[in-house]
Amino acid sequence: MGHKIYAYLDERIRISSLMGFLLNEPMPGGSRWAYIPGSMVFFVLILQFITGMMLAFYYGGTPDHAWDSVNYIDHLTYNGVGVGRLIRGIHYWGSSIMVIAVGIHLLQVFLWGAYKRPREIMWLVGVVLLGLTMTASFSGYLLPWDERAYWGTIVGTNMIGLVPFVGEAIKDAIRGGVGLGALTLSHFFTLHTMILPTLFILFVMLHMVIFRRVGPAGPFSGSPEKLEATKDTFYPRQVLMDAFGMLGIFIFILALAILHPPGLESVANPSNAAYNPTPAWYFDWIFELLKLIRPEIVGVVGLPVLIAVVLIFLPFIDKKPVRSPFRRPFAVLSTLFVLTAMLVLSLMAENGYKKLVDVDRAAMLRGQTVFNTAGCMGCHTLFGKGGKIGPDLSEEGLVGHSVHWLTVQFVNSKAHFPDSIMPDFTYLTPQQQHDLAMYISSLGRMNWPDPTKTP
Amino acid sequence: MDKEVTYRVGIPVMGVRGESLGRLEKVLLMESRHQVTALVVRSLDSMHILPLDRVTELNAAEIRTNVTPEELHGFPVFDPTQYEEVPPWFFPPGHHIELGALVTIKPLDVREQGEEDALTRRAFMGRSVAILAAAIGVSLLVPIGGYIMAAATTPVKDSWRDLGVKLQDLPMDEPVSHSFRAFSVSGWMRVPEERSVWLIRHSGVSDPQSEPEDKILGLDSPLELANSDPRLTVLSPICPHLGCEPQWHKGQKLFICPCHHSIYQLNGKRIGGPAPRPMDQLPVRIASDGSISVIYEQFAIGIAAKKRLA
Repeated sequence: MGHKIYAYLDERIRISSLMGFLLNEPMPGGSRWAYIPGSMVFFVLILQFITGMMLAFYYGGTPDHAWDSVNYIDHLTYNGVGVGRLIRGIHYWGSSIMVIAVGIHLLQVFLWGAYKRPREIMWLVGVVLLGLTMTASFSGYLLPWDERAYWGTIVGTNMIGLVPFVGEAIKDAIRGGVGLGALTLSHFFTLHTMILPTLFILFVMLHMVIFRRVGPAGPFSGSPEKLEATKDTFYPRQVLMDAFGMLGIFIFILALAILHPPGLESVANPSNAAYNPTPAWYFDWIFELLKLIRPEIVGVVGLPVLIAVVLIFLPFIDKKPVRSPFRRPFAVLSTLFVLTAMLVLSLMAENGYKKLVDVDRAAMLRGQTVFNTAGCMGCHTLFGKGGKIGPDLSEEGLVGHSVHWLTVQFVNSKAHFPDSIMPDFTYLTPQQQHDLAMYISSLGRMNWPDPTKTP
Repeated sequence: MDKEVTYRVGIPVMGVRGESLGRLEKVLLMESRHQVTALVVRSLDSMHILPLDRVTELNAAEIRTNVTPEELHGFPVFDPTQYEEVPPWFFPPGHHIELGALVTIKPLDVREQGEEDALTRRAFMGRSVAILAAAIGVSLLVPIGGYIMAAATTPVKDSWRDLGVKLQDLPMDEPVSHSFRAFSVSGWMRVPEERSVWLIRHSGVSDPQSEPEDKILGLDSPLELANSDPRLTVLSPICPHLGCEPQWHKGQKLFICPCHHSIYQLNGKRIGGPAPRPMDQLPVRIASDGSISVIYEQFAIGIAAKKRLA
């Protein structure tokens, strides 16, 4: 049967010739594990496409529905399996892994000297794809429309606004107005789900077409005769290695999605000026660097321009044909320097962020009972209900108080605020104080009502 | 291992008497059989296909055949559209043919392990790739299937609703379309919705039209059987044919659907038109003070059975 279909198609669309072209690509020096990063990027991109389409199935791209729809996805279960959270988790972690895979791919091409003549154009197309990847992660950040998304995008777009002369206009064009609102969200949604995927498809195709025109660069050492003698075809050995790599990366993303599902903070609240936004981890180093560079404008404009200029002009400046990293000490040392700097800056940035309490779910639920029975709602407001004497606690978990600070606050609030009128809840047992602190730390961060269970 | 030999495209092809027939131009093969079938020989005036069984000797410097120059012209002329690239499994161990400068194919497997082994190895690797791809595909498609089905199979949650009307306030033997507010739920959204039911208060149990047709035909579910009242029939406003809303025609004392003219009696019995079943009776409870509660069930459209949408 399969044979007949194959023969039928072969006669009409010459499928064997096509497959031969795709699979019998000659690889000088033979197949290697070192050649899989490009395929890994491609695989994660496909994964993002598929899970992204799935998320769009249930996503509502307006400020009054976006958060609710993401919370709905988080609660979608089928036969007891949290499929919604899983799909969102794959997309969420997929974006991080994609950035890593793109970074590894770029680094390898650089160290292998594979961007040199005649592969300069392929390198440039790759630089465009890097930009698309970064734009995709930036635009996807806003879509859940929670506090992190909103304030992160406020800062990100404000940075664009600092660019001299045109910045303000570009910022307003991106936001669809002066402020961040409904048009910003639909702009970002359109960018993220229509414009970027289209550009991705075009540039990935271009990348691959050029790749097949010039062929793989192959190893950086070895005589042409030796490479010729050890030549292999793409199929089956390299394809098998790629497939193993894809399975590995898939399991890794799946594990992250299951063990560390993405969070959802409380819905974007433009009046919560106390919110302390942090960027996605791969922008940490830029975040830290911008704090060091003064005046600010130099960093905001200079840094991306510098990165773009270096990447774009690299193959045209570095024209020596020598490819081995062992004979390019400057290239290798500067790579090491940049990587170390990025790592140190990222660690510094992470260190500077307020650590939110790692909430223990069981303790949080016990603490909720304590909260409801101890009379907290008499003075405090929670999600629109309760008293007005004390502060609103709806987003208290995002403030970043430690468990210790909170327990002191329960039993002796004057230690923090001398004028505090809050009663001292000294009758709470240490266990209850701890549980209550866990519950307070969860507020605005998790434990949202399940919209699939309507009353 | 044999000494490596390269046959270049362009090497002379010799005839039976040692005279030149032309030069090797291309190699033709039957891909489905994994077999080289013919060589294309370029003579001075044209190209001819030379079957491989006429080749007597392959030699790095030349190819010898048992064909005469005159005979060569009897072979079919090469049709360029038949040309295929040479696949890697073609070459005998220790040998390969270079097709011009750009395309050189010399598979590792064939050279090192002989053709038989190489094909097994190749097939094994191909199968492994298929298994890995299937593993990824299935473990991605299964959650996606669940993800799509999770919303599709969300149960319709309907509960008892007090209609805010009392039995004693209803007219006798005259259907009343009673509207009430409800919510329709889709995903994360609850949208307020106006719904209506037909309320038919019966003057006497003796009235032949007081017994709902659903009950007579045995279409009711246990929920509807357990919650019915001889004093009142509640009918769904939705026509079981295609979902329009039948209207009560006072003069004729009939429900007539405006879309396709399905006609029903007071108790929901279909007496004309394309509808597959009577109008659907809904579960009803009447409290001691006469207040009426119903469950607004919805049923599959267009079938004879009264199948509740879950």
